Amino acid sequence: MDPTFRPAVVIDNGTGYTKMGFAGNVEPCFIQPTVVAVNESFLNQSRTSSKSNWSAQYSAGVMADLDFFSGDEALTKSRSSNAYNLTYPIRNGQVYNWDAMERYWQQCIFNYLRCDPEDHYFLLTESPLTAPENREYTGEIMFETFNVPGLYIAVNSVLALAAGYTTSKCEMTGVVVDVGDGATHIVPVADGYVIGSSIKSIPIAGKDVTLFIQQLMRERGEKIPPEDSFEAARKVKEMYCYTCSDVVKEFNKHDKEPGKYIKHWRGIRPKTGAPYSCDIGYERFLGPEVFFSPEIYSSDFTTPLPVVIDKCIQSAPIDTRRALYKNIVLSGGSTMFKDFHRRLQRDLKKIVDARVLASDTRLGGEVKAHPVEVNVVSHPIQRFAVWFGGSVLASTPEFFAACHTKAEYEEYGASICRTNPVFKGMY
Amino acid sequence: MILLQSHSRFLLQTLLNRIQNLEKCIELDHHWVEFDDVRYHVQVSMKNPHILLLSLSLPTPPLETVFVGGLPFGAIEAIKAAYGVIVQILDPPRDGFNLTLKLNLSKLPQDEDQRHTLLVKIASVREVVLGAPLRVILKHLASRTVAPDIDQFVALVHRPNESFFLVPQAEKVTVVFPMRFKDSIDTVLATSFLQEFMESRRTAGLSNAPPCLWSKTPPLELKGVTDDELSANAGFVTFVILPRHVEGRKLDRTVWNLSTFHAYVNYHVKCSEGFMHSRMRRRVESLIQALNCAKPDQEKTKKTPQTRSFKRLKQGFLRAGNRMLE
Amino acid sequence: MASTLRLYLTCIRNTLEAAMCLQNFPCQEVERHNKPEVELKTSPELLLNPVLICRNEAEKCLIETSINSLRISLKVKQADELENILAKKFLRFLSMRAEAFQVLRRKPVQGYDISFLITNYHCEELQKQKLIDFIVQFMEDIDKEISELKMSVSTRGRLVATEFLKQF
Repeated sequence: MDPTFRPAVVIDNGTGYTKMGFAGNVEPCFIQPTVVAVNESFLNQSRTSSKSNWSAQYSAGVMADLDFFSGDEALTKSRSSNAYNLTYPIRNGQVYNWDAMERYWQQCIFNYLRCDPEDHYFLLTESPLTAPENREYTGEIMFETFNVPGLYIAVNSVLALAAGYTTSKCEMTGVVVDVGDGATHIVPVADGYVIGSSIKSIPIAGKDVTLFIQQLMRERGEKIPPEDSFEAARKVKEMYCYTCSDVVKEFNKHDKEPGKYIKHWRGIRPKTGAPYSCDIGYERFLGPEVFFSPEIYSSDFTTPLPVVIDKCIQSAPIDTRRALYKNIVLSGGSTMFKDFHRRLQRDLKKIVDARVLASDTRLGGEVKAHPVEVNVVSHPIQRFAVWFGGSVLASTPEFFAACHTKAEYEEYGASICRTNPVFKGMY
Repeated sequence: MILLQSHSRFLLQTLLNRIQNLEKCIELDHHWVEFDDVRYHVQVSMKNPHILLLSLSLPTPPLETVFVGGLPFGAIEAIKAAYGVIVQILDPPRDGFNLTLKLNLSKLPQDEDQRHTLLVKIASVREVVLGAPLRVILKHLASRTVAPDIDQFVALVHRPNESFFLVPQAEKVTVVFPMRFKDSIDTVLATSFLQEFMESRRTAGLSNAPPCLWSKTPPLELKGVTDDELSANAGFVTFVILPRHVEGRKLDRTVWNLSTFHAYVNYHVKCSEGFMHSRMRRRVESLIQALNCAKPDQEKTKKTPQTRSFKRLKQGFLRAGNRMLE
Repeated sequence: MASTLRLYLTCIRNTLEAAMCLQNFPCQEVERHNKPEVELKTSPELLLNPVLICRNEAEKCLIETSINSLRISLKVKQADELENILAKKFLRFLSMRAEAFQVLRRKPVQGYDISFLITNYHCEELQKQKLIDFIVQFMEDIDKEISELKMSVSTRGRLVATEFLKQF
């Protein structure tokens, strides 16, 4: 049967989590941490004793490259055994370790989704700043190892825009604020095409929020076992953090009614299994605050997120700017903090209004500027908006025509993956 | 990591999720495809959150296989035996599927372990349905009889439009797999893998395993099967299953292993291609190092890593604190 | 067998040492252009006679020389279908990364498996002796890698089979 009759496989590999599933569904099948636990002890052996006897090869061969775990299993395994080392194949939105990445995909396909890669077209995602070489390597792995019949590598920001496509309107112009675990990108998109020269990146992402929370808790002297502190901070971030409208007011609120605002975290020491608990106070709102007042976290980068967004739109072509302000789409797990979009919209509106006012006074009231509409869109599926966008696009009939096929790969080589057409008729 | 599990991971996850949130009315409508073109669809409606409709579609059977009412023979009995009261077979099944089961989640056993075992069994529905005819024949082997009114050889579907063959006898059942692969590289790798099945059967410690044979041409047992069904680009694998391989609890596993033999080989062919890639990456690295030796003055182009000062964190925190005092 | 390989590689090494005397030579037809003459073959007086070194029918090495560039093309031994596939796979993998190798040609010369193109600029940048070492090591490594890959396929097959049969 022709693979185009089967739903395409959509895998969105993020720095922190990988979302995978089949096109046409509303939710991905699995959301797993992008991590691989490899048993390194055997890997080194196989390098030195490749020509030794059969039994050594037996252990080296089978152990080394099939003895690994991915996702949540990897995290549990590395905690219970010292033989496994955690490898994060993606760093800051870019594939960093191709060996680990290939194994991770292998697990996604055969162990999680349990599909035959020869039976399905694949849609993968990449960051807008991915080098063409990396795209070639991805294609090489997909076509040579997995023999996929067709592959499309989509830019994740475009997919995040497409996620809004079905819910309300089919707007393919907008700014995508993609705050993942490892990378924050602000990507303006006009009619489905990324405006490459205006992409802005911020060195602050979800992981930094976690690090900051970890730091705050450590400084306050909470008794958290050091080996578990990062994971605990991540959980605290995911469960309790929110965005405040004003830091000073929020500090006062907490001080007046500590009982209402201070939460408790209970964890289990990974080594001994004994339970522990700690308080969570200011870090509930100070964590997400690093996006709005980055100076509290790092002195290298101090521009708040709304200012960067404004700069990004101002650097885009003038005829797209109003449309861009009108459709600012949030995507990625780290935009899930409560009221994040409200704060962003308010701060951004302030900047825009100040500029309009300044130009009005400069012109002396003769010409009134048309007010600029600022709109930060948030939707409930923000956490996997990119995946959902991929699921929507991959279930359109145009998708299969836009894919690179195995036959094309064999004819022209991996260089076909350097470009991926934006679908016609998508908007 | 090495073997294929018999339950669908996603189906089990969905079932466990549903059980935990039985009171919450969540609408669920999900479809997915597994290897060998087995499709699943689960549906839960807002009205009846404890009723879960599970539909299954099987690979298209080739002409030589026997399907009764859209299902392999013995499947209905197998479902009834495996699941009992909590499952009801809907007739006709959902459009485009071979089988629709209505699961009543409120009728699950209360005992934690029992419930989990049953859920895993439900998640292994493909094993129950697709493996049903194989199970019938192997059960007869366990009691050293041959099922009545059965042909000299039986064809069973395992991939879309592809079948494998059984020659049932009282003392042994011969299973023949015609191995086909789409990709030419896969074919060569698989052929060399399959030859290793013969080799490793001979090594010590595996003498209890079923005798195993690989040949380029169809084995003699299959005389009378048309050539069309017997064209295989990676040869033929024959396993001889003896009564000791299907005794008691071994039966389930033998059924699963035989019915997913092709998928197992295919999985490992892909894995070994991945393994080659990592080897080649290492080799490229060492070669590039060798080339770098040729550069006259080895300027070490150290990229300055992005340093993020963590000392500043504290200052930042203090500053935030100061702002609060203001 | 090993001794013939040594002889084969020594022969290639000596030939390369003699052949690798390249000089800057601007293009004769277009001003301010500088192109590898061995590729363009614009004029016969810029080219030298190519040398073909054969170990046997399956393994050979063609060295073509010109005034400012040198082309080395290799044919790797492929005893059976499996080796053929592994060689193809590995060489394609290498060609994909030609950028990193500088002297590797993206496409092999027709009839060969992999080619190098060395220009006078490479000779200026890199030490000649070490560059020759690299080429020889490359040839050795390819053979080694292919035979190791072949072994790994059968080892894996054995493991896969054992794991499967163990279950019965």
